[in-house]
Amino acid sequence: MSGIVVHLPRVGGDVTGALGGDPVTLRLGPGEVARFGRGSATIPVELLLDDEAISRLAGEIRVTDDHWQLSNHSATQSYLVENPEGAGEYLRVPPRRAGAPIPFEFSRVVLPTRRGTTVAFQVFAPDHVYLDPDGMAGQWGSRTVMAYSLDETALYFLVLVALCEPRLRDESPVAVPTTPQIVERLRGHAACGELKARAVSSHIDYLAEEKMRISAPPEHGSCGARRNGKREALVGTALRFGLVREEHLALLPPRASTGLRDRETDRTGGGDGARPGRHIGK
Amino acid sequence: MRVRGDTSGSDRTEPLPRGYRIGGWEVTEPIASGGWATVYAGRPVDPAKGPAEVALKILPTSGLAPRQARKVAETARREVELDRRAGHPRLIHLLDSAVISDPDRAFLDGAIVLVMERAERSLRDLFDAGVAEADVARLFAEICEGLAHLHGSGWVHGDLKPENILLMADGALKLSDFGLATELTGTDGTHGYAPPMGTLDYLPPERWQAPLGEHGVEIRPSADIWALGIMVHEVFASGASPFPGATPVARGAAVQEYADGRAPLRIDGAVPPFWRALAMDCLAPTHADRAAHSAESLLARITARSSPPRPARRRWGRRAALVTVAVCAAAATVWSHAVGGTASAARDEPPGRLKVFNADDDCRDRTDRNPQCSLGLAIDPLQPYTVDNVVPTRVWHGDVLAVDCRLPQGVPIIDESDASSTEWYRVRLPAGSAASSAWLPAVRTADHPRVPDCPRPKPVR
Repeated sequence: MSGIVVHLPRVGGDVTGALGGDPVTLRLGPGEVARFGRGSATIPVELLLDDEAISRLAGEIRVTDDHWQLSNHSATQSYLVENPEGAGEYLRVPPRRAGAPIPFEFSRVVLPTRRGTTVAFQVFAPDHVYLDPDGMAGQWGSRTVMAYSLDETALYFLVLVALCEPRLRDESPVAVPTTPQIVERLRGHAACGELKARAVSSHIDYLAEEKMRISAPPEHGSCGARRNGKREALVGTALRFGLVREEHLALLPPRASTGLRDRETDRTGGGDGARPGRHIGK
Repeated sequence: MRVRGDTSGSDRTEPLPRGYRIGGWEVTEPIASGGWATVYAGRPVDPAKGPAEVALKILPTSGLAPRQARKVAETARREVELDRRAGHPRLIHLLDSAVISDPDRAFLDGAIVLVMERAERSLRDLFDAGVAEADVARLFAEICEGLAHLHGSGWVHGDLKPENILLMADGALKLSDFGLATELTGTDGTHGYAPPMGTLDYLPPERWQAPLGEHGVEIRPSADIWALGIMVHEVFASGASPFPGATPVARGAAVQEYADGRAPLRIDGAVPPFWRALAMDCLAPTHADRAAHSAESLLARITARSSPPRPARRRWGRRAALVTVAVCAAAATVWSHAVGGTASAARDEPPGRLKVFNADDDCRDRTDRNPQCSLGLAIDPLQPYTVDNVVPTRVWHGDVLAVDCRLPQGVPIIDESDASSTEWYRVRLPAGSAASSAWLPAVRTADHPRVPDCPRPKPVR
């Protein structure tokens, strides 16, 4: 369990009047705390949110167990925590709420400003623990379990299954799909209509660096070859240790009969609308 | 081998009926079931072929995709391989393996069966029942013996926990469950690669952040040492981990906080000072700190408590020896616990007897048969006198043993009082022991029984 990753995108840009700042990425281990707010010389914060509507100390994030907690130090403002993959799923952390547990693996923490705009930062919690598929309920404490677990409903998992598909179907012992091939393969999926190549690449990076902590074999050659090494290592480990199995192929949209290379992707799997989202709080 | 299983009924959840046959073995009753396997008690169909009771570990593969079935087969392969290459009295022995062919029981068809020695209970059962402090030293010395052998043979257990440490009917302790055991393969044999699995409460801190390669996660013998430290704490603290938290995940986070230096190690006050120091060494936060404490060095620390080789005591030992010979000639404590009247009566009258002598004067004063004052007997007097080469039966100062013969030229032994000798006596073990006889170094007795010389023993292994 390595904790969480907090990412504050470049400040400025769309927030008019605010000073520009470099993006900030923090890695917090269990028990560690990061404060956020406008800050000052006497009130230091780890995440500087430079907007006059935001308190000097607006709140804090604390890593606990396999998740994190959000404390809202504002006396008047509620903060929203959105799940970007949850089809509108979000929760509201009311003023002065201390240590609200956040259940999402991906979160976008949104603070209101006076001009009707918002300031936001992202929090990734890659350590969420899942029970083994063949494990039994109860008494799991003393059981031998898979120490790496993946959310099989997450987009990154869909990308991983698409990466593994050719080998799972025994079509190709070597070739791992390229990013454009994955975009094409997932296009028919309800959740992936808007999936871009850049998003696929960042899902692959997230899987390799945060979820499975892939130690890719030493690479030689160009940058392109290095990326490929990472993909192959992902596929190799996911299949070898049963993180992706034959049954997961059902998560992918139906294939055109002639396979991946066919440009005529079957679209009947799409159009069913977004996956149902749950609203936790309002 | 592929054997034909019995055919009656086919419910997936239904336990195997009594008498269900698997190769040369038949099921008697269920023992336990885990995520991977179900364990049954069994016995040989032909009572002459094998021990009266065995454990049948059944790893089903049906209903699994081919890759999953391979994973199960891989688990079984590790167990078989380890037994073949690193068998030891402190490791559960594998007697046989088979694959069930039973098309009428879809769930069982293709299941892999490992036939193993039958244990009476696990260390977890013992922890739950409560362990007297006096027994803790013996238990952990025996765990360390098993681990020292395993590590010395180039393997890491990888899933050490009280559930996987078994106690046989005769009280002997054995390590079991080698499904995650890993052979050390690094250039210096320092680490190996294990499947990314384990039991959360026993994972060392580095495992929570370990990168996953195509061969698995890197694992070192120090992972077993960490688990040992957790168990030392558990045995004294009513089964509680030293790391706070209501769930294994919360305790795992606490392990990380400790390893990152943000929280101290809080050892329960109930852990006695010697064991506290030992647990803290086992629970050193980094692999490098833990590497200084091998299973062998921990074993030496635990056994040294019974016979500390303190220079000031050496002279005492020698003088006390003479005194004891004079006093004890009359007041012999017969080895009644072990030998037993009926057992010795049933055997031939031995050519001689001797009384065990312990050079540690603290131990000579005790009559409670404290494990820390126990002395070992060798399996083979021509092999180095190490943990690998002792029988499970222990003896104490004052025990009277039946002697068959004397071996003038065995491995030289130096005792705690610097007395040295190459002489050994072959002594009889009580009925029910794994072997009928074993070897006592002559320095462990002050007697000189008149017995014939032994024929030169054949190497045991």
